[in-house]
Amino acid sequence: MTNPYIPLGQKRQMRKVLAIIVLLLILIISAIIISMNVGEIRLSPWRVLQTFIGLGTADESLILFDFRLPRIVLSVLTGMGLAVSGCILQGISRNALADPGILGINAGAGLVVMLFIFFYSAPTDAPVFFLPVLALFGAGATALVIYTLAFKQAEGISPTRLVLTGVAVQAGISAAMIVMTLQLSPEDYQFVAVWMAGSVWGSNWSYVLALLPWILILVPYAMSKSSVLNTLNLGDMPAIGLGASIEKERRILLAAAVGLAGASVAVSGSIGFVGLIGPHLARQLVGSKHQYVIPVTALLGGLLLVVADTLGRWIMQPTEIPVGIVVAVIGAPYFLYLLARSRA
Amino acid sequence: MSELAVDQVAVGYPEARVINNLSVTVPEKQITSIIGPNGCGKSTLLKAIARVLKTEKGSVYLDGHMIHQWKTKDVAKKMAILPQSSDAPPGLTVFELVSYGRFPHQKGLTGLKRSDYKFIDWAIEVTGLSDLKERPVDELSGGQRQRVWIAMSLAQDTDILILDEPTTYLDMAHQLEILRLLKNLNIEQERTIVMVLHDLNHASRFSHNMLAMKDGDLLVEGTPERVMTRENLFNVFDIDAQLMSCPFSKHPICLAYDLCGECKFKQEQ
Amino acid sequence: MKAKNMTLDRENKRSQPLVAVIVLIAGVIALLFSIGFSITVGAADIDLETVWQAIFFYNNDLTNHQIIHELRFPRVLGAALVGAGFSVAGSIMQGMTRNPLGDPGILGLNAGATFMLAVSFAFIPGLSYIYIVLFSFVGAGIGAGLVYGIGSLAKGGLTPMRLVLAGAAVTALLTALSEGIAIYFHIGQDLAYWTAGGVSGTDWFNLKILAPWMFVGFIGSILLSKSITLLSLGDNVAVGLGQRTGVIKFFGAVIVLILAGASVSVVGAVGFVGLIVPHITRYLVGYDYRWIIPNAIVLGALLVVLSDLAARNVNPPQETPIGALIALIGVPFFLYLARKGGKEL
Repeated sequence: MTNPYIPLGQKRQMRKVLAIIVLLLILIISAIIISMNVGEIRLSPWRVLQTFIGLGTADESLILFDFRLPRIVLSVLTGMGLAVSGCILQGISRNALADPGILGINAGAGLVVMLFIFFYSAPTDAPVFFLPVLALFGAGATALVIYTLAFKQAEGISPTRLVLTGVAVQAGISAAMIVMTLQLSPEDYQFVAVWMAGSVWGSNWSYVLALLPWILILVPYAMSKSSVLNTLNLGDMPAIGLGASIEKERRILLAAAVGLAGASVAVSGSIGFVGLIGPHLARQLVGSKHQYVIPVTALLGGLLLVVADTLGRWIMQPTEIPVGIVVAVIGAPYFLYLLARSRA
Repeated sequence: MSELAVDQVAVGYPEARVINNLSVTVPEKQITSIIGPNGCGKSTLLKAIARVLKTEKGSVYLDGHMIHQWKTKDVAKKMAILPQSSDAPPGLTVFELVSYGRFPHQKGLTGLKRSDYKFIDWAIEVTGLSDLKERPVDELSGGQRQRVWIAMSLAQDTDILILDEPTTYLDMAHQLEILRLLKNLNIEQERTIVMVLHDLNHASRFSHNMLAMKDGDLLVEGTPERVMTRENLFNVFDIDAQLMSCPFSKHPICLAYDLCGECKFKQEQ
Repeated sequence: MKAKNMTLDRENKRSQPLVAVIVLIAGVIALLFSIGFSITVGAADIDLETVWQAIFFYNNDLTNHQIIHELRFPRVLGAALVGAGFSVAGSIMQGMTRNPLGDPGILGLNAGATFMLAVSFAFIPGLSYIYIVLFSFVGAGIGAGLVYGIGSLAKGGLTPMRLVLAGAAVTALLTALSEGIAIYFHIGQDLAYWTAGGVSGTDWFNLKILAPWMFVGFIGSILLSKSITLLSLGDNVAVGLGQRTGVIKFFGAVIVLILAGASVSVVGAVGFVGLIVPHITRYLVGYDYRWIIPNAIVLGALLVVLSDLAARNVNPPQETPIGALIALIGVPFFLYLARKGGKEL
């Protein structure tokens, strides 16, 4: 930071980014504290603090450590994963409207979960742990299918083709799911519906542990690829001119995006729009340089999901609204607003 | 210094091959312009040189090595490419975009070093962008934007500069401004410049060497005086051209031309 | 450049009246036969002659005549009407917007209808059929209005990409709201039965509601067809040729809403018909909408009648949802368009 050769404007920019990051961290922590309050049994911030340092009652500890905290941590991680995934996709496709959903990640994960329920019926405790693994597999496989179908030998991947192929494959998957839906028992159906809507409510620490390594490895990896993303974001020709191996880098980064979003969706259910809004807001705040955009995106995604989850628990108490629905209700209008403002 | 040569290259798109067999050596430290009618393969040739398109046969040689055998990052240290009209991502500042030019010189996770800043500052200054440093690129005018992209290529610090129609979409004054800038770079820095130009008179006035292409073949190459003749222009563009000497630079320029339907030249032959 | 190529393309593929007439006649014959055949197939075997008699010399005492009259005939007519409706709606959309991906399903019609259904199931349970149809019709209108409105707000107008994206976002929003309602009120599967799309429930009462709207739509679209041909050459060309594009687009949109909205309301979400049939029709008869629309009516009806026939016989006695079955054909077709579309879109 004290490098004397850095021009003044750059220093100012760095300071601004740092300030935004600190502000976001404060917001996330505040949201977490508020979120810990919300629920059937209310815990005041004071009680939360006391419970944290081991002075709470057994009930309070149970609620906080076994129910609310894992769920909150999971929300933050999921938000980060999805948002950074979206950021990578938007960078490599040069399309501000790209979202992990277009790679069929949500649809693919949903299909596999549906298939599982279809054949093994209502999930007891055991298969629930198995489900995320299956969902991740489904997400990856679908992304691979879409990528392959959109790939042309001579031209590689065109963003338009990727989006259209994604839409088509998802239409196919949803048709298949409708067929299965009709033959499920009402309990099974409810389970799938809630999963599809995206919920973090069954969460416990093992879910957190399952997602954590993905985030811890792939988010820093994406940050380390910031320069490459910067060049890819300029378009094919400039990127080649700057010496980026575009096809190779694109493939690796796509894989990282699928891993992040797939793992997130696998544990938290089908949640859309975070991957779209997070990076977009981040760009509005700090510009287009990925060294800045990725960390800000990650924090925004985490914040967005904690807030959405808290709202979902709070609006219609005691009924919980799945977080995916809350996000879609906030996110879709924002997406449409972006679309209406966009240029050809 | 880096030498660039094209040897018996066949290249094109899967639906249609554009160039069948083309060989040419780009003279070092000179400005070379590629001219020719629409669809003659001039951009294709440029893309093959720039390794954007893979050659089907033959190869492009850089310093005597096949270009595809180099690491792409190492090629980028020797050769910079300015694409035909590119959009910068919204919000990206001039300084940031120019700093991307240092990408091939950076290793792994390291940020910009002192030497990097030196090149960036120089590139911004040479292109006259010092006052616009912190402005977002997408808010600049067409001419300014083109200069930013050129500055990025300059920050790359390469011996060779490749440009695809650097003057398209610019008005006359800005066209000259860009070409002057390139000429100065060539004179002061001895950089090799290869570009596709649409305007014959610009090509003639600003380059040492011209390549005239038609239907994927190289018809004539050489100095402007050699290439800009009535016969050559008839063969390349199917026009009957009246040539004269440019009052500013003394290079041959095309004053007026007619389509060859009622071409006198044809009849004379 | 692109526009120029497109116009050239059109010139090469001039409309072919003779082919169009042949296709039309062959289509009508095929349609009549498939309707007849479709009626014969089912749990009770009935031969074609009985079908003929049941339709034209109905005898209330015969069980077979009753089956045909009460169940099979209205069902197959419903399928034909709905297929024709979706196809014409798709043709008009593709022509007016010069957009190869125009399809009522992409427009958010289905999601809109589902949303309003969820609302009506949840808050006004036990609503009579006619009101349910009305509600979903309104919902379809809301969905389409949102997608079109928002997509057109952007500078540079409604590009294929924008249409698809706006459609996806509106669908996501309305689906999220429907899902929320469905989970809260436990009406998810009821909703799914409807969404799956099916003509099985069609009876004379439904047809009486559906048919007048459809015929108004068909006649309107034929009246409009010449103007749509001009619009399909581009707005500027159409204006240059003296068309009042605003008025035509408005009436076109109304017809699309009537045809697709009525179809969605009665049979549920049968996607892709409106996408595929216009493409096939254009391939066969060229670019003149005066020929495209009548042919689309016949070919669309044929496609859905055959699909319904298949849906009943893939896994009897259970019915495969017809929407899923058509998606099976539609998805590869869409993929083909996406792949080919790199330049054309």
